[in-house]
Amino acid sequence: MNNELQTKAKFSFPGGTHPPGSKELTRESKIQQGPAGKQVAIMLSQHIGAVCKPLVEKKDQVQAGQKIGDCDAFVSAPVHSPVNGKVKEISLQSHAVLGRIPAVIIEAETENNPPKQPCSAKFTNDFNDNSYSAEQIRTRIRQAGIVGMGGAGFPTSVKVEPNPKAPKETMIVNGCECEPYITCDYRIMLEWTNQIVAGVKLARKAAGCSEVFIGIEDNKPAAIEVMNTALKTSANSDGIKVVPVKTKYPQGGERQLIKAILKKDVPTGGIPPMIGVLVLNVATTAAIAEAVVTDWPLTHRVVTVTGEGIVNPGNYYVPIGTSVAELIEFCGGLREEAVRVILGGPMMGIAIADLTTPTTKTTGAVTVLTEKQIGGAKFAGIQTPCIRCGRCLEACPEHLNPTKIAHAVKNNLLDVAESYYISACMECGCCSYVCPANIELTGYIKTGKILLARQKKKIPQ
Amino acid sequence: MLENITVSPSPHISRPLSTRRVMIDVIIGLVPAVAAAGYYFRVYALILIPTCVISAVATEWLCNLIRKKPNSLGDFSAVVTGIILALSLPPGLPAWAAVIGSCFSIAIGKMVFGGLGANIFNPAMVGRTFLTACFGMLMTSWMVPATVDSTMPKIALTEAGTKTIVDARTQATPLALSKQAIKSKSEAKVVNEQFEATLTGGIGGCLGETSALALLIGGIYLLIRRTINFHIPLAVLASAFVFAAIAYLIDSNAYMSPLVHLTSGGMLLCVFFIATDPVTAPLTKKGMWIFGIGVGAITMLIRIVGEYPEGIMCAVLLMNAVTPLIDRFCKLVPAGGKPNA
Repeated sequence: MNNELQTKAKFSFPGGTHPPGSKELTRESKIQQGPAGKQVAIMLSQHIGAVCKPLVEKKDQVQAGQKIGDCDAFVSAPVHSPVNGKVKEISLQSHAVLGRIPAVIIEAETENNPPKQPCSAKFTNDFNDNSYSAEQIRTRIRQAGIVGMGGAGFPTSVKVEPNPKAPKETMIVNGCECEPYITCDYRIMLEWTNQIVAGVKLARKAAGCSEVFIGIEDNKPAAIEVMNTALKTSANSDGIKVVPVKTKYPQGGERQLIKAILKKDVPTGGIPPMIGVLVLNVATTAAIAEAVVTDWPLTHRVVTVTGEGIVNPGNYYVPIGTSVAELIEFCGGLREEAVRVILGGPMMGIAIADLTTPTTKTTGAVTVLTEKQIGGAKFAGIQTPCIRCGRCLEACPEHLNPTKIAHAVKNNLLDVAESYYISACMECGCCSYVCPANIELTGYIKTGKILLARQKKKIPQ
Repeated sequence: MLENITVSPSPHISRPLSTRRVMIDVIIGLVPAVAAAGYYFRVYALILIPTCVISAVATEWLCNLIRKKPNSLGDFSAVVTGIILALSLPPGLPAWAAVIGSCFSIAIGKMVFGGLGANIFNPAMVGRTFLTACFGMLMTSWMVPATVDSTMPKIALTEAGTKTIVDARTQATPLALSKQAIKSKSEAKVVNEQFEATLTGGIGGCLGETSALALLIGGIYLLIRRTINFHIPLAVLASAFVFAAIAYLIDSNAYMSPLVHLTSGGMLLCVFFIATDPVTAPLTKKGMWIFGIGVGAITMLIRIVGEYPEGIMCAVLLMNAVTPLIDRFCKLVPAGGKPNA
């Protein structure tokens, strides 16, 4: 073995596809201070699990970092105010996935409200996790309201809680960022390196994992290099390893990342802890470090505002709860040709029509596309018949039969859709992306899942 | 500006590959075979191929009109069907018969099922079967290529159009000779000597199937473009080879060599352009193997044991019929295994 750093990857998963990365728009743009947040809307559910109850009332005065919503349920995460201000009201707000859910609207004070700075400068290379006990770390993670910041928003406190029946041996830190356009994780890996390393150590201790792999796609050699260098010189970093993985969508899906690094399959319908694995996003580890060391809750995050439809794309440090409209305005507004505003990236992101939608803990990006990127036929919604070419089967990272499931849903044959494992679909969008007939396979599958959930009375009509 | 904002389900981008592009690739893949047909059968190719394409396209247009459906000619699938049908016809077939075959291909082979993507059987093969059933004599007379027969008319368009098959010199195809050899239990060597001719194409046979090399070039193009998967071609060729080799090993006097089996008749045209028709072939890899092995085995069964010299058309149609069954049998298992119910 030579000493030269390996940034070319050998590992990946079967299936997947290669959409254009389009990361050049914001890849070189340093994390900048975002909009001040004149008014923020803090959703009472920014995670998977029980919805928080508001702890404040209308006209209450709140401080930055103050807890304003919480819940006793095990699977839940409290929410905090990012600014000093006054509660304007508690009302329903548009949410990209959940429809309309309650949110605490806070009007920021115009004076005495300095924008919060990132805390990465507080972390040095020789950070040692000895001064914190595992119990202490877990309590702070819960109190800080940390959830999976890669998109799913599963409460991190639940993830790191030790389970004697299924001990977690391996922790995988997800720095793949396979979704096109988004660069927020890439930037924090470059700029907040020490903070991430500190967070990784703390998370490892909290969960009791013995080995840690940091998976990064090999189209980010700079990130692989800085993370490697930081680990090499950092104290107590034995057992933490950077693993370059192949650039392929959806490499950052946790099941795909586990397959690539550990060569293991997570059981269908199961979760990684079943095979003793914990997966955390790099942004989540950075939040853990901040919460544990500075005792500050999750109130800000880096959001990539990008796409050909935005005037000044970039990576911004934004108070959670800032509306998409304010973010877009801060970035110079929409271009004339902008036709779609997406919370997230173009593959899995949700298109929104209401720009007052607030950002949440899981909003890593706002992508604005023009008709050119979407493609003329797709934008016009022209779908041609399925020619059974099988490209969707080849692309499906979960080895499903997307065309069969989608057409079963289309014909209202939900039992057939179930027999083809519709629930195993993670909605990555590969099938729709590769379909030469432009069929919205993922859309049909999503619809089918909702219909099934209604049938089983899991969600109301 | 806000009024321009639209929503749709994710993903919001798509690969710039359309059904039309897939079909154009198939047409490009057919170009070498079409060129070979033109070279060997001259004016007959010049008449048959456009006749089939035009009547196929016209039939599809008419069917859409009658069914009050949007025009679907833009996907070029009718053009592909037309070319493939033309290439699988005897060069001397009168144009009117080709028109009937094309109309049947599209109307009964495809449109009655609901158009592209809904048909059970390969449309071109449906049309060809119909013609074989109706005009058995015309469909089994094989003309000598122009490279061998210098008397073949070169420009006489009108003459060729009305020319009956009796006027042209005909010749037994390698597969017909092979059939004779099987019956007489000798002389298979004579057919084996024609191997070179089956490669280049200077031999009697269907318009587009005499030149194995041209078909191979087109097939490789489709494989490189990933328009087709290698599974079906490989499975058909391998299974056909194995069955032919078994027969050859038993009696090399009666049965012709397996290599000649692969290069003669409709084998390569079928392997790359007909059996791989995605609409009528299984979806899964495992299904493709079964499908391909089935096509190869049935073809060889007909060629070696059956009454007809060539059987690949029947083989494809038979396997088309069981494709839904194969798909049901070869259900994919999710990456994480079957979920515990």
